[in-house]
Amino acid sequence: MPAFHQVGHNSENLLFLEEFARFGGAILSPLNYGPADVAAQIARLRNRGNFTTIFDPHLYRPQSERMCLPEWDYYPRDVDTADLSDEGWWAAIVDGVARTAVGLATTAVASPAIVPTTFPDDFFLALVRNGNRLENALRGSAVRPMQTVIVNLPELANSSRAMTIASIISRSHVSECLLVIAGNDEPRRELANPEELKGAMRLISTLESGGQPVTVAFSSSEMILWKEAGATNCATGKFFNLRRFTPSRFDEPEGSGGGQLGYWFEEALLAFLRQSDLLRVLDRGLISQASWENPFSGQIMEAIPAGNAWVALGWRHFLYWFADAEYRLSRRAISAQDIVRQADANWAAVERGTPPLFMEERQNDGTWVRQWLRAIVEFPYFR
Amino acid sequence: MPSPTFTLESVAQAICAASGHTFGGGINEGSFKETFLATRNDGRKLALKVLKQGCSTERNEREVEAMKRCSHPNIVALLELAEFGFANTKYTYLLEQFMEGGTLEDRLKGGLLNRRDLLALGDELIRALGHIAEKELVHRDFKPANILYAVAGGEALVGDFGIVRDLRRESLTKTFLLQGPGTPFFAAPEQLNNEKSLIDWRTDQFAIGVTLSIAHFGVHPYREDGEDDGQAIARVATRSGPAARFIREATSANLPVLVKMVSRWPAERFRTPGNLLEEWKKQADES
Repeated sequence: MPAFHQVGHNSENLLFLEEFARFGGAILSPLNYGPADVAAQIARLRNRGNFTTIFDPHLYRPQSERMCLPEWDYYPRDVDTADLSDEGWWAAIVDGVARTAVGLATTAVASPAIVPTTFPDDFFLALVRNGNRLENALRGSAVRPMQTVIVNLPELANSSRAMTIASIISRSHVSECLLVIAGNDEPRRELANPEELKGAMRLISTLESGGQPVTVAFSSSEMILWKEAGATNCATGKFFNLRRFTPSRFDEPEGSGGGQLGYWFEEALLAFLRQSDLLRVLDRGLISQASWENPFSGQIMEAIPAGNAWVALGWRHFLYWFADAEYRLSRRAISAQDIVRQADANWAAVERGTPPLFMEERQNDGTWVRQWLRAIVEFPYFR
Repeated sequence: MPSPTFTLESVAQAICAASGHTFGGGINEGSFKETFLATRNDGRKLALKVLKQGCSTERNEREVEAMKRCSHPNIVALLELAEFGFANTKYTYLLEQFMEGGTLEDRLKGGLLNRRDLLALGDELIRALGHIAEKELVHRDFKPANILYAVAGGEALVGDFGIVRDLRRESLTKTFLLQGPGTPFFAAPEQLNNEKSLIDWRTDQFAIGVTLSIAHFGVHPYREDGEDDGQAIARVATRSGPAARFIREATSANLPVLVKMVSRWPAERFRTPGNLLEEWKKQADES
């Protein structure tokens, strides 16, 4: 199934570039845009044909001063003082979100959910209640409900926790899930705890096997693991902070998550490379076929000798890789295990080369690749 | 406090006399009630259940409420619920369909079910389960003793809602208990471990899976060769199964649905009663 774009500040225009034809959907952001802008985006995206729009109400951490959110009718006016555990309070919001989605005529809408301080069973039961209420409110409309599932990645290192969550969520009357994997890993860094990754993969695989297609929001290069676990769709964004869901995202101004450095995502190493790293990897002949076929690679290669900044090209380079890799994985033209094994072998070559190749960032050493390989081969047995 | 001079049998006799029924003697006695045979004027036999004094607990109320909420050809029908004054004491009683055909437990004493009978039984139980689930109830005590027949050779009916869980209401089971209510031999892991958040219709799906497996193969699906029933229950509680032997047997008997029904986690079982019934019928069509 196609890749989805996690819309952030001023990123929706990217979807109209010819190179991004493989993006088949977008997760819309009421955080960055008010109702009129989102309605215009939907109308424009509809012209792309067979394109899915998901409205995510973004109630993850409700506050009265939260960018464009207060412009939306469903957004509660008493958000700063309300008892967020009150079912009645949530019921009114869910109904409001359903009305908004029907008014916007989105393809789908995710059930409202907050990010809790802890993730007990009661939290997941509350998510299911909101999902069921949304499903009920949307009956008779063309808008599809999605069950939002927010999980705390470190907890998934315990396989029983992953299965408990899957067992509660699979009780929802809503079939499609929007999975948000929250954690404390810096957005720029790769997820590297194999137990956590196995738990997340087990959760995805269990929900999918039970007939609940999963769209993983806020994904980065670990998307290949989610696809290996059977995720129907994965979504990514322009900036690193749209590719990872961390609590710190609520403390940062949106639109600043990209930094000022250009990164080239290299499939051969499953790594983000800075300019000097890229040039040295190029010298070693380790650039993948996928990168050579990426239309933004050539533009970056032209920008570098000219001394031009290529930050924006870097975003595009990654987005193209994401949609292209998702496409190849979905069609089984390649397997996640093949990609990771190749990257593992390439990192070994990098280390053994003369001289050994050290990347600019100390942590950019490929250690996560081995953990990803473990996650891929071990997750079906993670019990 | 109950009067020491009166037994529930004398209460039942008085109820029959007052309502024009013929008293037919005792059938059985449980922790909370005694059951008697009562025959109506038109000859229809009924089960008269009189609640013991001091046992009119919230659980009893929930049992009655659950039975009133259900109306299905494969669920024992509650015909009447009333109170009766006897010797200055109020007794609650229920009148239900009388199950002359006995229980599945009785039937299995005569031998295991063949494939055709198993498929028919499964179909009946799954339909009943679908109805119970739709009412947001969890029976929690599916087992051969609670599967009854109005007439021998007739369709199976589910009875005894004594420990029913009403998902619309607060659970009555204390969280600190090591084990939730149920019959351990047929209970799902979440029941044995008192994992209250995981109790839903799929808990009953597990128990029906065990019941059908016992009815056809004669052994608990978690029991490995050389083990006893206690070890099988321990395996369920620790989610160490189903037994390899069972998976082999069920697969070679073309009954893979049973394996999925007794999966360790609710998420691994059938997600909706509709899915379960569809797969069960598919299995029957392949016979």
